[in-house]
Amino acid sequence: MWHLISEFSKWLMTTQLSHDMAGGWKWGWATCETLHFIGLSLLLGSIGVLDLRMLGFAKHIPPKAIHAMVPWGVAGFAINLITGALFFIGAPFQYVKNIAFLFKLLFILIAGFNILYFYLGGVRKQIENLGPDDNPPLSAKVVSWVSIIAWFGVIYWGRMLPFVGNAF
Amino acid sequence: MNEIYQSMENTGFATWIRESGSIWAYPIVLTLHAIGMGMLVGINWALDLRLLGVAPEVPLMSMERYLPWAWYGFWLNAISGVVLTFADATTKMTSWVFGVKMGLIVIAVLVLLQIKKQVFVKHTSNGKVLAAVSIALWAFAITAGRLMAYIGPVSGLKNVSN
Repeated sequence: MWHLISEFSKWLMTTQLSHDMAGGWKWGWATCETLHFIGLSLLLGSIGVLDLRMLGFAKHIPPKAIHAMVPWGVAGFAINLITGALFFIGAPFQYVKNIAFLFKLLFILIAGFNILYFYLGGVRKQIENLGPDDNPPLSAKVVSWVSIIAWFGVIYWGRMLPFVGNAF
Repeated sequence: MNEIYQSMENTGFATWIRESGSIWAYPIVLTLHAIGMGMLVGINWALDLRLLGVAPEVPLMSMERYLPWAWYGFWLNAISGVVLTFADATTKMTSWVFGVKMGLIVIAVLVLLQIKKQVFVKHTSNGKVLAAVSIALWAFAITAGRLMAYIGPVSGLKNVSN
């Protein structure tokens, strides 16, 4: 497994894109970092307003109405998936041996399964019919807490890449 | 001025933050700064998007209920930001990029206060122009923050570029 990851990383480093990210494009890394932080904020805010509503804040808002913010959270995630992939392509060995990176992926996976449960496990259906001032069911509250903890965890492990691990 | 920055940097607390190597020092403060950023900018952007017509079925006045969470993010970052500044005062306080970042944040916060006043309190504006300006200002503030690691005097932690 490690051999495969290592060979793949070495191959990545032979690509033009990797060279560009690793210094060939002078402002590449800084630009992607900036976009990564913008994506982070967009994701956290757009998902956060739905999570907070499901936890009982801003109760006058029908949960279905605030759910319309979700595509913007997906956009934030897409920005971060792309810029994150570019970091990885630029310097794969900063990440493949980095325990913080592994934990970051794990927390993204937790957030992902939580979203799957929200949409496929019937939670969305339950909140869709709620009107203003309705109290969301326990399942929705659990999903919201998991979402907030998971995304905070993703930020924590992302920030830990250079400290716990060996990035930068 | 430099003596002042030097003495800020030399306080026991600033030295501990910078040099202890503890996960609870620089790394956690930096993490809190990223989380606070996400809360402040993210909630502010969600409000801006609603003002610009996203999620039209959300009663506009109810969006005010989210504002305290943006302010929690603001204070979290004011505090963590002061700590980060103390830890690296001679560099941060002489960096023009840091000055630009602070200026952008001040203007962005003033814009948020104007949105609160004109849209939620006095009902004199639909807030669309303010919302567009707000989105741009926060994006520029984040950009300036990131560029502090690249332009002007740069120090940060030993062995860590940001």
